[in-house]
Amino acid sequence: MSVGRFLRSLRGLSLAGRIGFGLVLFWVVTALIGPMLAPHPVGAFVDRNVFGGYSSSFPLGSDYLGRDVLSRLLSGARYTIGLGASAAIAACMVGTGLALVAALGSRWTDELLSRFMDTLLSIPSKILALVLIAAFGSSLLLLMVIAAFTYVPGNYRIARALAVNLNQMDFVVAARARGERALHIALSEILPNMIHPLLADFGLRFVFIVLLLSALSFLGLGVQPPAADLGSLVRENISGIVEGAPAILIPALAIATLTVGVNMLIDALPHAGRK
Amino acid sequence: MSDDGSISRRRWLETALGGGVAAGAGSLLLAGCGSAARKGAASASGRIRAACMSLSMADTLDPAKAALSSDYVRHYMIYSCLTELGRDQRPRPNLAESIVSEDQRVWHVRLRSGVTFHDGKSLTSADVAYSLLRHKQPLTGSKVAGIAEQFAAVRADGPLDLVIELSGANADLPIILSQSHFGIVPDGETRFASGNGTGPYRLAFFTPGVRTIARKNPAYFKPGKPHLDEIELIGIADEVSRVNALLAGDVHMALSVNPRSTGRIAASPGHVVRETPSSLYTDLVMRVDRFPGSSPDFVAAMKFLTDRDLIKRALFRDFATVGNDHPIPPFHPYHRADLPQTTLDLDRARWHLQRTGIGRTPLPIYATPAAEGSVDMASVFQEYGARVGLNIAVNRVPADGYWSTHWMKHPMGFGSVNPRPTADLVFSLFFESTAAWNESGWNNPAFDRLLVEARGEGDEARRKQLYGEMQGLVRDHGGIGIPVFISLLDGYDRRLKGWYPVPLGGFMGYAFAEHLWWED
Amino acid sequence: MTASPDAHTQGGRQLALMILGRIGASVVTLILVALVVFAISSLLPGDAAQEALGQSATPEQIAALRQEMGLDRPAYERFGTWAWGLIGGDAGQSLVANMPVGDIIRERLPNSLILAAITTLVAVPLALGIGIASAMNRDGRLDRALNIATLSMVALPEFLVATLAVLIFSVWLQWLPSIALVPEEAGVAELLKALAMPVAALAIVVMAQMARMTRAAIIDQLDRPYVEMAVLKGLSLRRIILTHVLPNSVGPIFNAVALSLSYLLGGAIIVETIFNYPGLASLMVNAVTSRDMPLLQACAMIFCAAYLALMLIADVAAILANPRLRNQ
Repeated sequence: MSVGRFLRSLRGLSLAGRIGFGLVLFWVVTALIGPMLAPHPVGAFVDRNVFGGYSSSFPLGSDYLGRDVLSRLLSGARYTIGLGASAAIAACMVGTGLALVAALGSRWTDELLSRFMDTLLSIPSKILALVLIAAFGSSLLLLMVIAAFTYVPGNYRIARALAVNLNQMDFVVAARARGERALHIALSEILPNMIHPLLADFGLRFVFIVLLLSALSFLGLGVQPPAADLGSLVRENISGIVEGAPAILIPALAIATLTVGVNMLIDALPHAGRK
Repeated sequence: MSDDGSISRRRWLETALGGGVAAGAGSLLLAGCGSAARKGAASASGRIRAACMSLSMADTLDPAKAALSSDYVRHYMIYSCLTELGRDQRPRPNLAESIVSEDQRVWHVRLRSGVTFHDGKSLTSADVAYSLLRHKQPLTGSKVAGIAEQFAAVRADGPLDLVIELSGANADLPIILSQSHFGIVPDGETRFASGNGTGPYRLAFFTPGVRTIARKNPAYFKPGKPHLDEIELIGIADEVSRVNALLAGDVHMALSVNPRSTGRIAASPGHVVRETPSSLYTDLVMRVDRFPGSSPDFVAAMKFLTDRDLIKRALFRDFATVGNDHPIPPFHPYHRADLPQTTLDLDRARWHLQRTGIGRTPLPIYATPAAEGSVDMASVFQEYGARVGLNIAVNRVPADGYWSTHWMKHPMGFGSVNPRPTADLVFSLFFESTAAWNESGWNNPAFDRLLVEARGEGDEARRKQLYGEMQGLVRDHGGIGIPVFISLLDGYDRRLKGWYPVPLGGFMGYAFAEHLWWED
Repeated sequence: MTASPDAHTQGGRQLALMILGRIGASVVTLILVALVVFAISSLLPGDAAQEALGQSATPEQIAALRQEMGLDRPAYERFGTWAWGLIGGDAGQSLVANMPVGDIIRERLPNSLILAAITTLVAVPLALGIGIASAMNRDGRLDRALNIATLSMVALPEFLVATLAVLIFSVWLQWLPSIALVPEEAGVAELLKALAMPVAALAIVVMAQMARMTRAAIIDQLDRPYVEMAVLKGLSLRRIILTHVLPNSVGPIFNAVALSLSYLLGGAIIVETIFNYPGLASLMVNAVTSRDMPLLQACAMIFCAAYLALMLIADVAAILANPRLRNQ
């Protein structure tokens, strides 16, 4: 997409879409260059005080061990966005791809894939993550794979339901009658018409992955310290909740703006496909 | 009771802080175990709910299998031991009327007469012999099998008399027998379905992983005790939820609160935080039989890298006592005071590191939520290590499976050692070269000799000197770093009275059930 | 859009066949789950004997306990014994709790079902209502407000929302109990009071997904030519949505609902932990940490069966509502 077209499509966005775009842009930029701007190393114990408030030396206060919240936030955003986005994209691509195969393939392919996905989906994701991390240790790649893995079947179900529905539509039937190849039907007839619900699903899946990561931090798993993703930042400072310490408010706010922003943007995107 | 066995532990008590009953209430001590009836308006009623840290499907009524703090509490409610620890932490007879020995090896026990189990059966020496010896059978799955190995023979010598023969002299036997694991169960008991003991409470309801309800045992052998009518024991794994439940009035006591929650509890007019300084520690384990711990310079550098004050202040909000890389805390009667304190010294750490030639080799350090504070401690080591050019990589692993998979298996990791009732126990369990949990894998023949000598030593002054030498050896040559001793913090409803600190564990060494009473 | 009566009976037979086929496939899935869980859990470090004895284990004790638990037998043999027992209706003996797995499940399953049922009753009508209302007011003020509301619901970590709720309603206002550990003799009022916060916390998590998928599915249909035609014919939007759009979008909607509901059993782990509710999810986590394979397998089977049942219901409902699918 050229820059000009991009800007034009931006102008076409609703107010909510523009806010969403602004939030997403802000967090993407933060994830990219944030760690360079951090005033302190992520693990440095700089404040004698713990749960310090907003001050000139620590703009966002200090955390439960007296570390700089701003620095930790800048580094945490990178983990959350990087892990969340890559896992959500992976999950949606694999899930939707398999769904198209199932919807257009033979009955047996469909049956086999669906049973396999059911198997995966019926094991609760947090417990599955618990087992996998206990078995393989915790690394960034593994976290990404686990998060993607857990959300493939969910995306698959939604995408398959959409695809099966579309497969009965007149224009698909017509395309098949024209003798189009399955791949062509999948990519140019069915996929474009699924894009919008799937994008909505992607947005939610991104949110769920961000939240899964924070749930994992609740269960004591996640990014290796002293680094922390946004959810872990909330979790580790939870005892500051009563005093309203910025150490917990700011990361919580960060998660909220990030997840809401992504979804507002997606909702506002112009609908692709056949009208 | 043997004179040698009753060590003065006054100092435990004197340093113990916190609210509640003032220290040194001598009358209760002198009154001994028989007449524990309290003067004044001790309300003889009350139903309370106590929250431990966690429950699991492995919750048990078998005292030998106790693994979690909730197990200890449950077992102290329904079982009794031969001895118990008094307020001064000295052992005194409990189910035993006396426990004496000439040589600290062969002990004669006479049981109190007229004690009955909850099902009405009378206590005899056969029950005691069975209860002690079953720890030695592997199938019992006893958590104190290692300690019970020294019971060479336990035989009944009449219905209320028995002889315990140890494989070697041990002056601490009366203290050891006061642990909940050595609770007395009926002869031949294997199913442990009803919780049939001689303790102050009778089991009313028990669902593993959910709750235990125990009601006052009217036939308890100590007149006037216990005070509470009913205790419901639950587990709340999440610390914030546990404190919330306390403050909301849904539980009346909460085990192990975070130092960061103390402010909240103190701010509530109806609640109080009680601190018990203890010998609990989380230690940095450096295997001395593997790189890099095999280099004494590396071990020394890590000890100089330890910012004990930061750990005490930031991790534990000063609810801790600075340690000196050996397991005896300053408030322990056997603590050696003239041993210099190691402090943070980056220059000396750098100097030692240069001699090792480690450079920027990545050094993984394994930390886990299973060892309290270890993840944050690892972050502290990582941070200070970076300042002297060390490349420490923190590797947080789940609490799940930590002890069987990671503990003592990596060149650098963390251990967690609960308070033990005697110095001998902590040294022989964790530092003897042949010990199964010799965490750093060190081997010091001089230390081993001192250990055996001190165990059988009857003379207090000499014993203290021997333990002092051992502290020096561990500090200077051992592969473990003990930055701080962690205080035990519990939250209580103010209406629960009768608390005093027991340094062996929270909830009065888990034995609160017999002692606390309710006063509106 | 309408099918002939002849197609109806034919479709009915096909539907029955399809349901039978699905039940057969469900059995296959259950076996797959059992195998997958068994395989994954055998990757876990340590075994039940080691975990039961903990830090203080001696080698002799571990050996003795392994033999007692039957862990010294090869894996396939253990799996075989377990599966054979299950066919006979016996879920085996818990390795750590010293009682039959069936008894443990009987204790916990009703708790989970009650929580899930109340949450369903609260969340599903609300979510569908929100979704449909949003779609009907597409891009209007109501739509935007509801959109922001559903998004904000999932924008914060579950444990934070639950902890905040406890703080406000239990600690400060003292209206609701902070723990949902209901005594057995408790009445309905007490039960509802104790479950109010857990239900709210769970409902918030599952509602967003359902509401948003409902909205998306309906809007997707609204963009289609047949809707335009209906509008041109002068039908009201409400009528179009109820008679034409909803039947066509039930597939994805029911799928989203079923998916969200299946979360209520196994995904409740955080809520169960914070409110100390003795449900199945915490039981399963416990089975993982204590390496209690028979218990773990039983929990996995239940979650899987519940999930499959929900999916089957969703698919059947979708077919019944959309005649096109019936003749697939």
